[in-house]
Amino acid sequence: MGDFFQVFTFQLLNSGIRLATPILLAALGGALCNKAGVLDLALEAKMLLGAFVGILAAYLLHNTYLGVLVGMLAGGLLGLFFAFLYHKYEVDLVILAIAFNLIILELTVFLMRVLFNNVGSWTDPSIQILPDIQIPLIKDIPVLGDILSGYNAIVYASWLIVVIMYVVLYKTPFGRHIRAVGENKEAAETVGINARMIQTMALTIAGMLAAMGGAFLSVGHLTLFTRNMSDGRGWTAIAAALFGLNHPVWTGLASLFFGFTAAFSVRIQNVTNLDPNLVNMIPNIATLLVLVIIALRTKIWERMARSRFRSKLREEDRAKDIAKSV
Amino acid sequence: MVPILEMKGISRYFSSTDVLANDRVDFSVEKGVVHALVGENGAGKTTLMNILYGLIKPDSGEIFIEGKKVRIGHPNDAIKVGIGMVHQHFELVPSFTVAENIKLGIEPTRAGFLNTRAENEDVAQLAQKFGLKIDPQVRVRDLPVGMQQRVEILKVLQRQAKIVILDEPTAVLTPQEVGELSTVVRGLTKLGLTVIFITHKLIEVLDVCDRVSVMRAGRMVGTKAVAETDIPDLAKMMVGREVLLRVKKEPAKMGGVVFESKDASVADISGLAAISHVSFDVHAGEILGIAGVSGNGQTELVEALAGMKPLDGGKFFFKDKDITATNVRARRDLGIAHIPEDRMTVGLNLQTTLDENLIVSRYNQPEYSRMGFLIEKTIRNFVETVIKSFSISAARPGEGISKLSGGNLQKIVLGRELAGSPSLILANQPTRGLDVGSIEFVHKTLVEARDRGCAIVLVSVELEEIMSLADRILIFYRGMIQGELITSQTNEHEVGILMAGGTMEEVRKQKAAAESEVNR
Amino acid sequence: MTPRALRKLLDAILIPLLAVLSGLVLMGVLVVVTGKPLWESYQILFTSAFGCKNAATSCSLFTTLERATPLIFTGLSAVVAFRSGMFSIGQEGQYLMGAVMAAYLGYAIHLPYVIHPIVIILASMAAGAVYSWIPGILKVKLGVNELLATIMLNAIATTFTEYMVQYPMRADRGTTAHSPIIDATAFLPSFFQGSRWGVGFIIAVLAVIVVIVYLWRTKSGYEQRMAGQSLKFAFYGGIPSDQAAIRAMVISGALAGLAGAVEVLGVQHRIMTGFSTGLGFDGLTAAILGQTHPIGVFIVAILFAGLRLGAQIGLQIQVHIPQEVGGTIIGFIILFVAARKFYENSIASVRKLLTRNKDIKAKGEGG
Repeated sequence: MGDFFQVFTFQLLNSGIRLATPILLAALGGALCNKAGVLDLALEAKMLLGAFVGILAAYLLHNTYLGVLVGMLAGGLLGLFFAFLYHKYEVDLVILAIAFNLIILELTVFLMRVLFNNVGSWTDPSIQILPDIQIPLIKDIPVLGDILSGYNAIVYASWLIVVIMYVVLYKTPFGRHIRAVGENKEAAETVGINARMIQTMALTIAGMLAAMGGAFLSVGHLTLFTRNMSDGRGWTAIAAALFGLNHPVWTGLASLFFGFTAAFSVRIQNVTNLDPNLVNMIPNIATLLVLVIIALRTKIWERMARSRFRSKLREEDRAKDIAKSV
Repeated sequence: MVPILEMKGISRYFSSTDVLANDRVDFSVEKGVVHALVGENGAGKTTLMNILYGLIKPDSGEIFIEGKKVRIGHPNDAIKVGIGMVHQHFELVPSFTVAENIKLGIEPTRAGFLNTRAENEDVAQLAQKFGLKIDPQVRVRDLPVGMQQRVEILKVLQRQAKIVILDEPTAVLTPQEVGELSTVVRGLTKLGLTVIFITHKLIEVLDVCDRVSVMRAGRMVGTKAVAETDIPDLAKMMVGREVLLRVKKEPAKMGGVVFESKDASVADISGLAAISHVSFDVHAGEILGIAGVSGNGQTELVEALAGMKPLDGGKFFFKDKDITATNVRARRDLGIAHIPEDRMTVGLNLQTTLDENLIVSRYNQPEYSRMGFLIEKTIRNFVETVIKSFSISAARPGEGISKLSGGNLQKIVLGRELAGSPSLILANQPTRGLDVGSIEFVHKTLVEARDRGCAIVLVSVELEEIMSLADRILIFYRGMIQGELITSQTNEHEVGILMAGGTMEEVRKQKAAAESEVNR
Repeated sequence: MTPRALRKLLDAILIPLLAVLSGLVLMGVLVVVTGKPLWESYQILFTSAFGCKNAATSCSLFTTLERATPLIFTGLSAVVAFRSGMFSIGQEGQYLMGAVMAAYLGYAIHLPYVIHPIVIILASMAAGAVYSWIPGILKVKLGVNELLATIMLNAIATTFTEYMVQYPMRADRGTTAHSPIIDATAFLPSFFQGSRWGVGFIIAVLAVIVVIVYLWRTKSGYEQRMAGQSLKFAFYGGIPSDQAAIRAMVISGALAGLAGAVEVLGVQHRIMTGFSTGLGFDGLTAAILGQTHPIGVFIVAILFAGLRLGAQIGLQIQVHIPQEVGGTIIGFIILFVAARKFYENSIASVRKLLTRNKDIKAKGEGG
């Protein structure tokens, strides 16, 4: 039993937050697109592209921060291209995403091998990992200090973006327009909102955010690029956005949920005999349940409108009978 | 006094349906009045207003606002000159509040951020100014339909509309809400606004409106002050005296009751009654016409009759058997055929072959399938029989049907539905969008079926079709039977009165008045 | 074949063909950019994919066919689902469930030859069917989006498989976990010693035929296709569309489960860490490129498997072009097919150009 509790150390919280970060960033992008009414299943591709371009740019420019920014740019361009194909050629979103995911998966490895002499994974001693930032006063606070301080810039950026996205979505006209487009495109267009432009922007921003998450994997965590670095995190991000009902804060928490279970599962492996994979299943099952609950809610609403009508009819009949008997 | 709105010589032709929707229409509205624009389906009133609001461009004609000529190519142009339109189907964001919907696109801000306080205050003031009680902070999805309509009206007023167009506003309201709307509209005109009411529900119009313009078949028939007219008069203008198509037919040889509806009620999506306490019967060998302007419950009635919509109240009897709980397939097997309103997306599957379209209601029968497999031979024979007996040109077994004409497509539907000698045929707008030749063919086919003893329920918004085919007529208004008439003993005007919301009482008065005219 | 039928066939394959050609052109670009010989590369690609020097010992064609086998099954699975209007991308998860079942029953129960694999195959199909039934019933009864549901179920299945490999079914003490090798009685035999191409491929061909017959010759298949093409029409005609949709999902899952069984019984003989290599998605893309037709799936599956193999043993080893070029090209082909409007617009413009020239010519001659 004591073993079990040994699992819960601050180490766990720390790694949970780190593991959650790429998922969080991509999930925010996905949530934004969902809010704008366009499903983005290409998060995996955008993340992987950000990882590759990020480390490559960091190497070429001798500056990891710049590398991350260039990676984000690449992700943004990919998102822009995605939006362009979607709007101009009416491509099916799902097929488009599957194609992008496959292309980026293979193309990044192809380029890596072509540029760096056919290696299976690439690194270079000159690349500097993103440094951990110790926040001056906070780091000295006894318990919270360990939890809040000492992460690299991308982690802090992700927290900031949660806040920014919340503010933009719910406190600015632009955010409101995004939500209007997602909920009722015609209503938005009637008042002059350009739905196409909004969806394009959402897809581009999602690309940048997912790419930032990918860059975290290649230069924020290790300094390495290997085939399929993202390893399904893009899909996890889609689940996190669903679970968080596309709300920035809830999506953030959902991503943390996914991150913590991942950290938890690793920890459990070292400490007990419980299987880590079972733990990893929990968030996915939870998301599926969320989908079911949402669908149930709509069904129940419809049923209730129906039964209200029927009881009204019964009342009318009863009133008629009473009137007849009088 | 210059009228606030003048439309002169507006014409618009739609090549896709080969219809001249507006034929040199002149429409003039005075400032500060409630002006009704009435007509049946296809009269052209919606097209005229869509042109005014910039959703459609006219082929010819001019528009003047307060005497100044204007060009309206887009709704934004219309809004700029002070025209606002509330459509029949609302365009609101359900999860947003009233204020958020009204201010969508023109939100007040403070340093770039939303100023919700100013928003709510603005909207509250706006509502008060126009006498519309509403809470700006309620979410639109929690509002009843009548209130949602108010939000749409306020949206229009917020954008400084001087002319407010309401498109069939009472279609979605309960009788009580109709009263409230009338009060609101009166309030608007007191403040100097002009309201245009597009409607076919004359009863409601006469209470609220000052002037009425009637359109028929794309032309403006006339404009009168409400005080100088009444329902029968307007109904006459609405339905006219054109007697174009009269199918030659023998008087009906009616048999026993084939189908009976007792007190049927069906709810629509929002929980309101689509049809309410509807009772009637149909006999073998008769064509029962269901008349009425579209949107009064006819579609829901037919869907319920076909088994596609469950009844929420009442019962259906087919040959004395209670079929209320049976599904589509069971009803088809009993001998109920259905010619749907929409032949291209409901009646047929244009993505597949002629054969697969023809067997949809019979593939389960033993001659057509055995042990799960379809029997090609039987199917092929059936297809060839149908092609021959209905002379469907350009259709070949095993081929697609997507390129066939509307008339041929309807022949395919008829061929399928009439094969197997059904006892009851539900025909919903069977000649919609067809050329004259095809219309004749459909009418002939239906009369032949009737003469063979079939019972037919014919729903049509074309009064001529009803008058020429139906033996008996039920008129639907607001989901209820407004009245019943025998075709040989009535005329279009009487039917028109009921279609517009008048009562049988008014029909009797009209009959009496007409007879005394003749006798004089 | 009648000229009309030929025309229809050409219409159907024109755009996929253009997409494949565009993909190959793109490959040429990549080859040139990396400084390798162009025509030689194309040659090597094709001979490495489809060449056959010695039937028994070195025949890439057979390897391609063997690799195409699971794709054919998952592609058929996607075809059945799509044709009934269900946009399910759950082939990956259903495939894994079938594979786990097969790997388990391969060593856990002991039956004689021929009976053993048949029982296992049926069990795997059932496993896949059940796993596909879940999103089916959720969609039909509750309206849950089957796309999202199958995404989640895929993730759950992947973790579940890893769990099974690493714990209950673990047979090794090393770093790469794997399950015990299945009994010899459960093996699906191969045709040649040393090659893995075998009975599994025959089953795949049979599956193609069965699916064709099912979709176009049976009542159920008819119901599914009508429901998939026009739900309104199906409802109006009395077709029980809900039942048809669920049946489609069950059959779709069974086919994907079958893929798992064949892969385990015929090729891998066990499951290991990282067993899921995205075969489900590859089958899905084969269905898309193959115009959701069983024969299209068959052809495209072989094409995809060939491209990957040719890139792996040909381009990589002989010309030193990274093998990932194969997967990249496949991805681009899918992209080109998805953007079919681009081709349609281009074809329309070309047509317009040609008729305009004809008109000008006619006018010139008349005037």
